[in-house]
Amino acid sequence: MNPDLTLPPPRRVLDGERVLRVNWLPGSDRLRGLCHCGAEAEASDPVEMWEWLLAHPDHPAGGPVEPPASGPLPAPPAHLVTDPL
Amino acid sequence: MTSIVRNQWYVAAYGREIGRDLFSRTICGESILFWRTEAGPVTAMSDRCVHRRFPLSQQPSHLVGDTVVCGYHGFTYGADGGCVAVPGQTRVPRTARLKSYPVVEQDSFVWVFIGDAALADTTRIPRAPWLDLEGWTAVSGMEPLAARASLLVDNLMDLSHETYLHGGYIGTPEVANTPITTEVDDEQGIVYVSRHMADAECPPFYATSTGITGRITRWQDIEFTPPCLYKLHSRIAPVGVLPAADGSDPDAFHVEVVYAITPETESSTHDFWAVARDFALDDQGVSDFLAENNRTVVLQDVVALDVLEKVLTGEPDGYQELSINIDTGGLAARRIIARLAAQATGDAAPARTPAARTPDDARTPAAAGR
Repeated sequence: MNPDLTLPPPRRVLDGERVLRVNWLPGSDRLRGLCHCGAEAEASDPVEMWEWLLAHPDHPAGGPVEPPASGPLPAPPAHLVTDPL
Repeated sequence: MTSIVRNQWYVAAYGREIGRDLFSRTICGESILFWRTEAGPVTAMSDRCVHRRFPLSQQPSHLVGDTVVCGYHGFTYGADGGCVAVPGQTRVPRTARLKSYPVVEQDSFVWVFIGDAALADTTRIPRAPWLDLEGWTAVSGMEPLAARASLLVDNLMDLSHETYLHGGYIGTPEVANTPITTEVDDEQGIVYVSRHMADAECPPFYATSTGITGRITRWQDIEFTPPCLYKLHSRIAPVGVLPAADGSDPDAFHVEVVYAITPETESSTHDFWAVARDFALDDQGVSDFLAENNRTVVLQDVVALDVLEKVLTGEPDGYQELSINIDTGGLAARRIIARLAAQATGDAAPARTPAARTPDDARTPAAAGR
């Protein structure tokens, strides 16, 4: 059991042998992923969570990539439109 | 690059829509003619005469027994799409035949296979038995959507939008401490999103229609079999009442909300919807309420997605979007659809979530397909 995991494990409804699971608690910022091989990790970004699970059997050590929590960000770009509504 | 996944079964119509009148619908960009033979089965073929491409669904085209006669020059086709007669000569050109489509009528739907007919394995058609099953009552409809099918997939896979787009109809506040689990079975091609609330408030509709007083155990389970069939299994029971060990569940009330997401073209979709229940079976008031309520909700989605389609086509490629935790199920659905699309075109299946990483955490969905 990984002591770093803060969320409960995912529910198991599907009974396939190669099911990937992600649990989320609404209100929480974390996702908990569980591979069919037993590997599990938490993440704060669903894209990175799926990337990590789908890397089976080579789940990256250290868990999914976390977005940088601080530091300057570039200014958001304008949203370009070629054909206005 | 097409967004339509071929070599798949799609819902083309409800069985009730097709009879001894010629019926046409565009499925995945293919104009298809449907009709019932005298023995009853539905048959499907191209809706264009091979001669001058006159629509065979267009009057005065008509059925004569188990043949369809083109209303322009009289080319006559059998139920298998083969031409059996042409005007003014006895020889029927060998190439005078219409593409025919594998068709299966099941669970009130008419399913059609789009792609290589040799791959049309009927056992792959996902089931929605409640729509045509003893002990259940169903209401259903179809709304045309002027938006690409993927927008409806995104919409249905994330129930959090209910609070905003459908406020006052089906919006339910998210219940804290109730986890949402997303499961993906790649081998079976299923995305399953479940939220099981052990102790929740009973919405007035369910209180009235089921007679439950007090708080409820409420389960909401999304089961999506990309690319077409989406089911929302809804279970309502008095608090603490769970299914029996043998899987029976006699003390709960069940609602099955079914959507079939069928591309009409690259940028338009047939939005089939149905709601089945296993209680108040003969209560027309309940049927009317469910039909009107669900159609209202569907139309709210249609308005929003029609606008979104216009917006997406009115901007350059490479726009950015951002996914957060509510999108966990939708991302899983996109990935399976991308894999099915790659299989159909013979491209290498994307091994991972099709998410091209770009600097500054920007996402490029046009390139990444998600």
